[in-house]
Amino acid sequence: MRVAVEEKVLNENQRLALELRQRFHDHNVFCLNLISAPGSGKTSLLERTLEAMVRDAKVAVLTGDIQTENDARRLAGAGFPVKQITTGGTCHLDAKMITKALADWDLDKIEILFIENVGNLVCPSSYDLGEHAKVVLLSVTEGEDKPLKYPGIFLKSELCVINKTELLPYVPFDLAAARENARKVHPGIDIVETSCTARRGLDEWLAWIYRRQQKAIGAPAL
Amino acid sequence: MHELGIAASILERVQQESAQRNGARAMKVGVRIGELSGVDPEALSFGFEALVKDTPLEGLALEIDYRKRMQRCSKCSREYESSMLFTVCPECGSLETACIAGDELDLMFIELEDPACV
Repeated sequence: MRVAVEEKVLNENQRLALELRQRFHDHNVFCLNLISAPGSGKTSLLERTLEAMVRDAKVAVLTGDIQTENDARRLAGAGFPVKQITTGGTCHLDAKMITKALADWDLDKIEILFIENVGNLVCPSSYDLGEHAKVVLLSVTEGEDKPLKYPGIFLKSELCVINKTELLPYVPFDLAAARENARKVHPGIDIVETSCTARRGLDEWLAWIYRRQQKAIGAPAL
Repeated sequence: MHELGIAASILERVQQESAQRNGARAMKVGVRIGELSGVDPEALSFGFEALVKDTPLEGLALEIDYRKRMQRCSKCSREYESSMLFTVCPECGSLETACIAGDELDLMFIELEDPACV
């Protein structure tokens, strides 16, 4: 006897993600899911982002790692709510972890929620966290063929941040090829170039966030 | 390597279905995996085998329907199977195309042993 099922394998994650998306919508929370390989600069970009926010901005961060609270400590310096999610070995965040982490936060006090995923370009791409958009980071110390090697995450991301551009004079990274590769995989992807140490491109990144936030919060219900 | 967790999700669903049908033994489960899903079929099969070994589910077969990326051209509306990396429309050469399939991670069916005739 064959029973037709036809549902998502990650049905439970999908259910929780939809619940989160509805809650974000109801409380006007704009949520971004930042994904990259380990060491591409997700935490540094968030440090610069939080610094650039005005003191009473309603911004919060959930940061995922397999172990340590180091990232949360780094990010807490800016004075905004930050919570570390330590997965204890799991290579990605899932919607259940986000639901749990948000349990004691008042969503009415959050307008922008950044989720920093575990450093990994494969597994996080399978788990919807209820975010409005995924953002993929790629740093110039990596290969410009990363989008071709990990097409799934570049396809699912709305924005590609090319980070550590201050190192371009010292590394053989072909910026034009990287941009072209990202667009080969995902023709509609937006691209910004940033340097967190030389503080370049951050205005463009912030402008993208605010534009996308407007689009999301003005959006009709699910 | 999240395939083990995904294999576990599949098995949970199989056990649930079996329980709902008076413990009918599950023989086969079918999943659809797109090449953009981030799930490696071999790693999934490997994790699946490891999880069912020495359990009542041992012998349960996993059938994988692997799907290629599909694009639709925004200019001429042609729908086509695309290589992962070269998405240009074969009809009109447009670069403005959108991904319409290839990131599936779906449970398609569960095959259970037929109830014994009484």
